[in-house]
Amino acid sequence: METLVQMKNVTKEFPGVKALDEISFNIQAGEVHVLLGENGAGKSTLMKILSGVYEPTSGQIVLKGKEFSKLTPKEAQENGISIIYQELSVINEISIQENLFVGKIPTINKLRIPVVDYKYMEKKANEVLSKVGLSRTAQTFVEDISISEKQQVEIAKALVADADVIVMDEPTTSLTSSETEHLFKIIRQLKAEGKGIVYISHKMKEIKEIGDRVTVLKDGTYVGTKRVDEVTEDDLVKMMVGREIKGTYHHPTLTDFSREKVIFEVKNISRKDCRVNDVSFRLHQGEILGFAGLVGSGRSELMNAIFGAEPKSSGEIYLDGHKIDIQSPYQAIKHGLAMVTENRRETGFLNNFDIKQNMSIVSYIKNTMFQGITGLVKNKWELENAGKYTQNLKVKCRDIHQNITELSGGNQQKVILGKWLAANSQIIIFDEPTKGIDVGSKSEIYVLMRELAQEGKGVLVVSSELPELLSVCDTIAVFREGEINGIFGVNEATEELIVKSSTGQIKQRGEKNE
Amino acid sequence: MNKQAQAEKMSFNTMWQKYGTLGIFVLLVVVLTILKPESILNLQSIPQILNQSSVNILLALGEFFAILIAGIDLSVGSIAALVGMIVAKMMVAGIPVMLALFLGVIFGGVFGFMNGFLVNKTGLHPFIITLGTQAIFRGVTLIISNARSVFGFPVEFITFISSRVLGIPVAVIIAVVVAIILAFFTKKTKVGRNIYALGGNKEAAWYSGVNVKLHTLLVFIISGICSSIAGIVLIGRVGAAEPAAATGFETYAIAASIIGGTSFFGGKGKISGVFVGGLIIGIINYGMTVLTVPSSYQQIVMGSLIIISVTIDRFVATKK
Repeated sequence: METLVQMKNVTKEFPGVKALDEISFNIQAGEVHVLLGENGAGKSTLMKILSGVYEPTSGQIVLKGKEFSKLTPKEAQENGISIIYQELSVINEISIQENLFVGKIPTINKLRIPVVDYKYMEKKANEVLSKVGLSRTAQTFVEDISISEKQQVEIAKALVADADVIVMDEPTTSLTSSETEHLFKIIRQLKAEGKGIVYISHKMKEIKEIGDRVTVLKDGTYVGTKRVDEVTEDDLVKMMVGREIKGTYHHPTLTDFSREKVIFEVKNISRKDCRVNDVSFRLHQGEILGFAGLVGSGRSELMNAIFGAEPKSSGEIYLDGHKIDIQSPYQAIKHGLAMVTENRRETGFLNNFDIKQNMSIVSYIKNTMFQGITGLVKNKWELENAGKYTQNLKVKCRDIHQNITELSGGNQQKVILGKWLAANSQIIIFDEPTKGIDVGSKSEIYVLMRELAQEGKGVLVVSSELPELLSVCDTIAVFREGEINGIFGVNEATEELIVKSSTGQIKQRGEKNE
Repeated sequence: MNKQAQAEKMSFNTMWQKYGTLGIFVLLVVVLTILKPESILNLQSIPQILNQSSVNILLALGEFFAILIAGIDLSVGSIAALVGMIVAKMMVAGIPVMLALFLGVIFGGVFGFMNGFLVNKTGLHPFIITLGTQAIFRGVTLIISNARSVFGFPVEFITFISSRVLGIPVAVIIAVVVAIILAFFTKKTKVGRNIYALGGNKEAAWYSGVNVKLHTLLVFIISGICSSIAGIVLIGRVGAAEPAAATGFETYAIAASIIGGTSFFGGKGKISGVFVGGLIIGIINYGMTVLTVPSSYQQIVMGSLIIISVTIDRFVATKK
């Protein structure tokens, strides 16, 4: 079999992190090569190097017999590499055929002036569209077609570009099972034509169904490459998680919480966009409840719905046994909820505010009569408040008048924590609290979470880092496709168990303690 | 506090942010003094410049809030004209002056409310909404006035608006009082702080509990009220309500806000800066008039100033 792509000893370092460590990977004609690994294992980084988005720190890439030490996006494309990202890159505002030819519109000379060759465009478009089984006219606007159809347009685009290698990054996340079947049919057809497919997925069933070979990555290192028919799903899970847990974390208390008071309860929350379906859970006094699951499984969506930042279609929330109504973050804050969001820059801090202003805004709003608009700011209190929390949380800054954008990620996160603590929040939701944060701040945040729980506050943690959840939480709820697929006490939970539960290999529905 | 001590070491960025507006103002005064000393070095000219600037300042103060939330309000001139016309009609019809003025301000608030309501309901950028309402308000002005000017205001209104306190025209006092109230509002009230938060980062403000729609509404109401006061001052100064009054004044209001240091990207700016920005527009107009520069050239200078100010603002913003 002909080797289409060979990546040799590819290493990629970002400041402070080795994202890929001497990875070798090859793609052959007519195979589906699965790339498997946890969130952050380096799959996307590897593919971004292949497509020329990132420049590798060292290593070689061999395409069609030519050796490259780095690629530009143009070189990658010219050498037959095509990538279909999870967030599809089709342009909604133009037609399917124009999408297919983006960047390489065919022209024809009329009166020596090159004009768009619509005839050729349409002919070629119809040809590739029938190949991928898309029954739409080439002039249809992309905004009028479904997500699975957009994906077919992406594949058609790869065919127009005459790609030899097509990389698909978790292509089935937003597809129904019949749409997935259709996608597999297309993939098999492409295989038969001698194309090489790189298939990134977490779904074990799919891997068994469509894959020929599988390469497993873990924390940026190469674990191994196997023939899919020679390994079991269990083998793959072991390869994915078989890492040592680093010893710097604080272990949770292994007590039974079922006798403790329920301080926060969520019943049957659903969202209209179906990203959260009928989710219920309880949080007991002193307990830290973690939420595991794949990226996109609906954990953040659930938290945003609870916090009132995004709408929910149904469901009830109880605080200390009393039903509370939350339709907006303002109402959530009034009831004592707090949310440390996943994206600090977009939803966490105010970039035009200094440290003291960032630390006071929630308190100001919480202590008003109506919608945060009544009352005056108190300069003296603002200074004291910021002084207190920068000290307690060990925020490294010049002074409290410094703009928050000048701080490091870890210190920004501490300022955000400070604003919620200042408002005396009772239930604190942490969504990926240590994303992009240095190790020192990380462990400080873990200690703080435990302290908060011991003070009787409710702590909910969403994290994609399993070691983090296992060392911080007392109980872990595993999310899968918008539902809680299992709830485990930390003494029974293992990485293996959680991965199996989040990929749907095991099912354990229903609430604990009942 | 050693805040001042640390602020001593200043880059161009901080210098521009702190003193840029004032610097332009001083520069203009100096230039004018050199070119035509008698035009500025007399007791008459300063109240005159202030008086001429008052309408611009009032419009700019409202515009400031719209720009502060990374929006814009193109309807300020139209609202001023419409409210001016309504107040004029009411006074001519015999409604007591004070009641007419009060109702005029209420109307301004209502027109602003309409802008904010439409922005919230449609989710469209304020540019589109106020571009539309600008034309609508102007159209209503033309309809209720039959496209004719309204004269013959009660004497007490004319004497009130043209009176002076300690030599300072009442129009100027009104502008100063509005500015002081709004400066207090932006600096000392929670709602003012929230508006800055909304302008800096709408999403983060929402997650911090800011009611985005309510604050957007308030911003446009404030802008409408400021415009209505400007409209009243304008008819008082001209002595008539004209259907085409304040046409194009939104450009001056936007220019004054931006030259006054308000970031077009939202979240940054000060009332004091906007006040000086309004004065700068006034002094440019005055200076060119005394230097007998044709008004078409005045437009060119004004336009250039807007572009230069925003360019420097952008340069400062991206360098950070």
